Formats: sequence, C-alpha cells, structure tokens
Amino acid sequence: MSAILTTRDLTVRYGDVVALEAIDLEVPRGSSIAVLGPNGSGKSTLFATAVGLTEPAVGAVTVGTDRVAYLPQQIAVEPMFPATVSDVVAMGRWGALGWRRRMSDHDRVLVAGAMTTLAVDHLARRRLGELSGGQRQRALLAQVAAQDAELLLLDEPFTGVDRPTEDTVRKLIDAWRDEGRTVMVATHDLARASRDYDLVLALNRRLIAFGPAAETCTEEVLAATFAGHVARIGGLLIETEHRHPGAG
Amino acid sequence: MRNGAAAAMLVGVLCGTVGCFVVMRGTALLAESVAHGVLPGVAVAVLLTAGTSGEPDKAAILCGALAGGVLTAAGSAFILRRTRLREDTATAVMFVFMLALGVVLISRVEGFAVDLTSFLFGDVLSVPDWEVALTLGLTAAVLATLWALYRPFVLVSFDRRRAASLGVPVERTELALMVLLAVAVVVGFTVVGALLVLGLLIAPPAAAALLTKRLPAMMAVSAAIAAASGPLGLLVSWHFEVAAGASIALVAVAAFAVTAVLRPTP
Repeated sequence: MSAILTTRDLTVRYGDVVALEAIDLEVPRGSSIAVLGPNGSGKSTLFATAVGLTEPAVGAVTVGTDRVAYLPQQIAVEPMFPATVSDVVAMGRWGALGWRRRMSDHDRVLVAGAMTTLAVDHLARRRLGELSGGQRQRALLAQVAAQDAELLLLDEPFTGVDRPTEDTVRKLIDAWRDEGRTVMVATHDLARASRDYDLVLALNRRLIAFGPAAETCTEEVLAATFAGHVARIGGLLIETEHRHPGAG
Repeated sequence: MRNGAAAAMLVGVLCGTVGCFVVMRGTALLAESVAHGVLPGVAVAVLLTAGTSGEPDKAAILCGALAGGVLTAAGSAFILRRTRLREDTATAVMFVFMLALGVVLISRVEGFAVDLTSFLFGDVLSVPDWEVALTLGLTAAVLATLWALYRPFVLVSFDRRRAASLGVPVERTELALMVLLAVAVVVGFTVVGALLVLGLLIAPPAAAALLTKRLPAMMAVSAAIAAASGPLGLLVSWHFEVAAGASIALVAVAAFAVTAVLRPTP
C-alpha cells in the first residue's frame, strides 16, 4: 500500500533555529500514529509543513491526498467572532465544496453527524466564542470530522477536554482508522501512545524511531526522545517535564 | 449636497461591509495605518500631476492613494514575517514611516496646507458626478469580490492554519483582503477624510457585532448603520453648521454607543 505522507531528508528552519532535521518518513495509509516528543521537538512543524504552511529548508514532503484535515494546537477564537457552532462545523465542508458551491444534503448529513458525534448539536446556535474551552475544542473537532478527510493531523486534540470527550475522540480516531483513514495525533500521553495506536513516531528534531509501539515505546527510545526526562511510575512510562530540548 | 449624500451612503455600505473583517480580525490599527499610509501616494500624485495649472489630477490622486495604502499593509506584513515582532509594533512602524514620508513629500507641494485639509477631513460637499459614479463602481466591485471570496476570507479570519488545510492560499487571500481595505480607505477618505475613515470602518461593524451572531447579518446591519450615518451626519452638519465629514463619523460612533448601552447584558 502506498504511503499517504512521505518526507525525504526534510529539514525545516525558523531563522537560525532548526525545528526538524533530516527526517525520512513514510506513513502507511489507514493507520493511527501517535507522534511523541517534548515541546519544541518538531511535532507541530511536521504537521504545518505537511499542509504547506511552512516551507522545507532542505528536502521535501509529499502528501498522497488532497483531503487533509489539520487541527492545530490552541486555536485562539475571538469572543465576538461572528459564527455559531453550526457555522464553524459547516466550514469543514468548504474545502470540498470550493468557494461558491452550495451545501448538498450529503454535506448537511456530514455536518449534522459530526455535531452529534462530538455532542455539540445542542450548542448549534451559540456563538463559538461564548463556549467553554472544552466545548470549543469539541466544536473544532466536529469541524475536522465534517471535513471527511483521508489524512487527519491532530495536534494535541485532548487539551482542555474532559474525560467523556477524551473517550469520544479516542473512539472517533479508532473509527476513522477502521474506515481506512490515516490519523496522526501529537500527544504527550506516553501510556496511551503505547496502547491505543498502531504506530508511534518519536521525534526530537530528528526522527528517533518510527514503528509499532513494542519497538518504539522502549525506555531507551523514549529516553533519547525526551532527553532523559522519562520515568516509570506504577508500571507506566511518563514524561517528567515538558521542556524544550535546548533548554538545558 | 445630493451628490454628497449619495457618496456618503455608498461609502457607508463599502466601509461598513469591509470593516466587519477589520473588526473580526482585530486589525483596527492596520486600518488606521492604511488610512494614513495613503498620504505618500497622494503626495506623489500631486507632485507629478499638478503641473503648470497647479490642479492635481484627482484620478491620479486616487490611484496614488490606493498604491500607498496597499504598500502600507504589505509593508506591515513583511516586517511581521521578517522580524517576528508583535503585530501592533510592525503596523505602527509602517504607520509612522508612511505618514512621515507623506508629510515630507507633501511639504514640497505649494499650497499644501489647503490640499492636506481636504485629504485629512474629507470634502463630501464638493463631490462631482463622476466621483459618485466611481464610488458606485468601486463599491460594487468590492462587494462582488467579498461575495466571490467570502469563504476564503472567513477561513483566514478564523484561523490561518485551518484555512491552509482547507485549501485556501492564505497569503494571497490576506493580500486580497488588504487590497479591499485599501480601496475602502481610499474611497472613504474623499467623504470623511483620512483621519476619520476609521470611524466608518470600525464603529458600525462594532455595533453590528453587538447585535448579531453571524457574519452575513453583521455585514448587513453594519452596512445599514454606516449608510444611514451619511445623510444623518450631513443633516447634523447642515443644522449645526459644523464639519460634514466629522459629523458623519460622529453619528457612526453614536450608533455604536447607543447599541452598547441599550443592548441587553449577555
């Protein structure tokens, strides 16, 4: 099966700062991948480069589909932004519709289904900026779900959500994977990464490891990924500090 | 007076609509910067076209103003990308540069004090027929562009990163929004002047934001408030014998104040 995302010697710089260095990666279609690494390790940069927001300094990234959904970390929404939850979720269809085509019944079904799955249908007429952080994150995830994408890049999607929402999103990730979509999730949850995903990608500006959790979620690999800031507590491996790799 | 009222209403529709994106994106300082950044373009046009008659070509002034406005907005974006300073700092630097450059250039023009007054405060009572027609044409063109590119404009205003993943060419879309803003400013300054065009770009959309939840409704309400500010402002100006352009801007801000006070507490 061809790769849905391929990088060849990918290096990305922000001025003098190297965010990603010499990444060679082939992400197989129809898999769920946990992307691990400390803050500043290049997880968000990898996603941003995949959708064309950032240009590589060296190398290339190839995406084998034009149906890509990217949920960035921390979308800041103005409290008075003039859009209801229903409007925001419907925006997820605009990529497929283009700039002037009206929504079809199929589009409306996708939007309604996404709102029901993420339990924001009762918030449809509320302005997005009025919602709590958790409700807002669910609405944004519903927008991503409505996109009906083949490749989903979710950057720390569990931030600010409660446990029931976390469970809903995990089930959604599994359902997407079962439908043949590819889901890459940047996360700091090492325990879940080793348990809930097909593959794990460990980054620390460079590619440390990529493969099944049994091969990548070892103490050696994680110690290299997190520059030693990993500990085993109660049988679980956890990241002990969220630090930039160059912070000392 | 009839031409002035017509021009003021058209400018109201134009600024009230484009201004919704200014308020939504939090770019009021950029709008103010563009309003002042037109000055060097105006100055160059005056210097090049005044000639022996001493009367500058008004069409050239409008073109020069548009070029100055677009340059100001593009310059702010360039500084932001190159330096990673805060957005208000990058905008303020361009603001000061373009304003100072404009004053330096226009000081080379004889009789510049009179020309500058018209530029700064508008000349709505002297609008000729051709300028009303031009205003109508530009307003129609901007509204058509907003209609055609509504979705990309909304997406980049919501979140640039999400917009990119939905296929929007983000930088080109933001440039297009800047051009529309510059057009609105250039058209607006003939009525209320460069100093006060912000009144029509910000106050009616801010009032509409308090009254509506969705962008199409916000644009319609804002355009209506801004359009009504024109003839009402002229009435105030005529009745109290005060400056016309400033009266229009005051009516627009008064509409916001009334809305802010009377709207139910959320």
